[in-house]
Amino acid sequence: MVDAARQPLIEVKAYTEVEKVEGFVGNFKVTLREKAKYVRADRCNGCGACAKVCPIEVPNYFEMNLAPRKAAYIPMSQSVPLIYNIDMDACIHCYKCVEACGPLEAIDFSMQDKIVEEEIGAIVVATGFSHFDPTPMEEYGYNRYPNVITAMEMERLNNSAGPTAGSLIRPSDGKKPQKLAFINCVGSRDKRFVESCSNFCCMYSIKNAVLVKQMYPNIDVTIYYMDIRTPSKGYEEFYNRARAMGIHFIQGRPAMITEDSETHNLFIHTEDIALGKVVEHEYDMVMLNQAAVPQPDQNHMSSVLNVAQSPGGWFMEYHPKLRPMDSPTDGIFFAGACQGPKDIPASVAQGSAAAARASRVLHSKTWQIEPTIANVWPDRCVSAQGRACGICERSCPYGAIDYTQGKAAEVITAKCHGCGACVAECPHDAITQLHYTDAQILSQIRTLLADKPEKKILALRCHWCSYGGADLAGTSHFEYTSNERGIKVMCSARMDADFIYEAYRLGAGAVLYSGCHQQDCHYITGQVIGAKRAKRLETIFERMNMTPGRFRVEWISAAEGDKYARVLNEMQATLDAMPEADLLAEIERLRPEMAKRLSRLPNIPGVQRALDHTQVVVNTILSREGAQ
Amino acid sequence: MTDHKPKIAFFQCHWCLYAPEDQEWVDRRLPDNIRLIKVPCTGRIDPLFVLNAVQGGAEGVVISGCLPEKCHYKEGNLAARRQLQEFSSFMDYIGYDEARLRFVWLDLQDRGRIQRELADFENQLQQLGSAEALAARQPLEEGGAHE
Amino acid sequence: MFKSGLADEVRALPGGENLEMCYSCGTCTSKCMIQQKLEPEYNPRRLLRMVMMEMREESFSNPTTWLCSSCDLCYPACPQQIHISGVITAVKKIAVQNGQKTPLHTAVVDQQTCVACGLCAEVCPYEAITIETRKLPYRGSIPVAVVDPGLCMACGMCGAACRSNSISIPADYSDENVVESIWKWLNPEGAL
Repeated sequence: MVDAARQPLIEVKAYTEVEKVEGFVGNFKVTLREKAKYVRADRCNGCGACAKVCPIEVPNYFEMNLAPRKAAYIPMSQSVPLIYNIDMDACIHCYKCVEACGPLEAIDFSMQDKIVEEEIGAIVVATGFSHFDPTPMEEYGYNRYPNVITAMEMERLNNSAGPTAGSLIRPSDGKKPQKLAFINCVGSRDKRFVESCSNFCCMYSIKNAVLVKQMYPNIDVTIYYMDIRTPSKGYEEFYNRARAMGIHFIQGRPAMITEDSETHNLFIHTEDIALGKVVEHEYDMVMLNQAAVPQPDQNHMSSVLNVAQSPGGWFMEYHPKLRPMDSPTDGIFFAGACQGPKDIPASVAQGSAAAARASRVLHSKTWQIEPTIANVWPDRCVSAQGRACGICERSCPYGAIDYTQGKAAEVITAKCHGCGACVAECPHDAITQLHYTDAQILSQIRTLLADKPEKKILALRCHWCSYGGADLAGTSHFEYTSNERGIKVMCSARMDADFIYEAYRLGAGAVLYSGCHQQDCHYITGQVIGAKRAKRLETIFERMNMTPGRFRVEWISAAEGDKYARVLNEMQATLDAMPEADLLAEIERLRPEMAKRLSRLPNIPGVQRALDHTQVVVNTILSREGAQ
Repeated sequence: MTDHKPKIAFFQCHWCLYAPEDQEWVDRRLPDNIRLIKVPCTGRIDPLFVLNAVQGGAEGVVISGCLPEKCHYKEGNLAARRQLQEFSSFMDYIGYDEARLRFVWLDLQDRGRIQRELADFENQLQQLGSAEALAARQPLEEGGAHE
Repeated sequence: MFKSGLADEVRALPGGENLEMCYSCGTCTSKCMIQQKLEPEYNPRRLLRMVMMEMREESFSNPTTWLCSSCDLCYPACPQQIHISGVITAVKKIAVQNGQKTPLHTAVVDQQTCVACGLCAEVCPYEAITIETRKLPYRGSIPVAVVDPGLCMACGMCGAACRSNSISIPADYSDENVVESIWKWLNPEGAL
């Protein structure tokens, strides 16, 4: 950190908040709030005279509130830059610090927050993680029993720069504990709180245990665990070293801690899985290794940066395997635990990768984007005719559409990722998506349903998930009906209602509408738009009295090849269960309804021409031997 | 009066003490003046059991059970509370001070509380003085005197 | 490898749905007091494992199947949110269907004195008591309380509630034994 601050090309803006991020890759405009420190950075030399004379003491957040700090303070002794700060919520304006500062005149009570706008090429987000507060877990009695502490508190107690200068004491009476226990997975791997594994707790509980054991070999240390997870290089060896040092490991998740109300000693009740017996052991002090959770303001940051969040609340990466350091928005990168709990080596690796990715942006004169971007036909956009609309702008997950009433909407090419949400949502068919135009997809539908359409199942798949699922079903040799006919689009948001109407108009037996699970969506909220449309279509078809099962909506991930096969087989079974005459009658009954909804289709530029061409192909298919 | 050790009938539900240490104390090291009567659940305590104890000369009755909603038999202690607390007002009516009947609802984490409660109750009984024993020579049976 | 059967049967019953989510942490066993107070072999974690491993006979004869009283202390503590007592009840149901008998001393109704007031059925937490018409000597066809031993957990609440002294729990906790223990203490010479 000190090195970074000395680098002439690096500017550290401490105590500054990001308020707004606008623009796109290479051209971000970031609004920052430089909070008033009431100490002038250009004059403060970090001597600490102000803190010495300050009469106000408040809990020190960095020491997990185990020690006080003054109202004039630095967050921690290694702070970079070493500039003091006055906590205005606590300050009583006695001005002793001003006197103590003397001729430096660094303290300035008239300072105000400053709003700064900066031109930024790329952004690396490294906001880190927070800790689960174990108070709601009544069984462990945190905050009720004085000798139950969290791992972070332990970290400070055991630190030579910490509040006790490194001597390990128990909070209830200040004595040195003789029997210590660590409980792993407090809040994590627990569906009541945090379902996921926090990745690094096994290692840090072992580390803390080893540190204690090295310092005081006579202390009895026990770690309660469900599974010890030591997957990285050298970790298992470290675990073995801990065992060799005499640290006890008990497999079993403690159900309850009870306390002797006089001695404040703690009793852990657990089933020792290896023994298959319930045991109760007495300890002087218990450490809870709590789960890692996203920062409390992670939701706010995600809306400021316009990046999605994974189910646990962490920032979502572009691709979990191939681009773990990229955000879905070009030019924004992740480093460390803000993207998911990870330990120091992994954070450093990701941080270096993110820096390399960011420098690629800074050194490029041009930026390559997906070719499947959206495009507006200005003459078809009703906004150009002065009518209020803006549906495209609202549907875009990336904020890539510039809409002002009275002017045709415009796609900001650098921001567009090509999900096609706006294309399908536009009620006036004024937007098209390159390589996935309406004309192309409608031609595909026509060709696929040329022969015996009532026997076919048209499957609309999204590029990232259900197409991958179908692919996996194939490579894994999961058998499914050969009557399936698939069409790939980029996202379920692109699956225009017209495609489905057209399929039924042509007499398709069944249609599958499939995409990613919501949390997997590759286009932030694309799936949400797709799902909403699917819901709407389901209601419409229900009102038309369509046989249930002929239109099916399924969210299938790229790993669910078996599900893809199962869904299609179920759809085939639905069709098989219907007498052919009934099916044909239903198709005939619904055909005019569908046609009514498709009346404006030929007006879309290019569609009529494409369909005319397609008719040649269709005719060829039909003229083949064995065709109808 | 202070050296008088009042006779206490201590009805304990099988499940209310979580810490093995407490259970061991209750089972083995209870003072002589306290008699442990174990029942599977406070819901098992027929008011006649309490009446029997009182008639035989118990100067105080302690009933300890699990916290409501943590009953081993789903809702036994709720039924017990309805039945026995109603009964305690009847005891008051027949001249047996209500303060001589104590309910202790124990949580799993109340380690050592039963000892404190019993000591406290004993203290309270000493303050009240010895009970005017409700004269009785025979145990009561439902539906009339037992022969 | 495994015969398909028990696990699927349990899963199909209400309560048994999340069976396979158990990762054997042991919270249920240590939260429950049956092992330390009553039966050292009692272990819900192990029973769940036995069911998953299709150990049919072993799970039917396991004390866990019969001793769990569905107090549901473990359910809110379970990190995988498995309704453990639901699983055990499901196993018990299948065991009863397969002709297994509970080892507990379940409640016994004296049908000659029962007046079918229904108080016992009202208080029973396990809905083990029903009022049914039975043909009885001297009394003719008459409604009386009937205990289902497959559901009764021998808590004794019915005995405490019964106003005609017609329902009793055999063995240790019978009315006679409890009253006797009180009188033996208070009146050692024995007026009884």
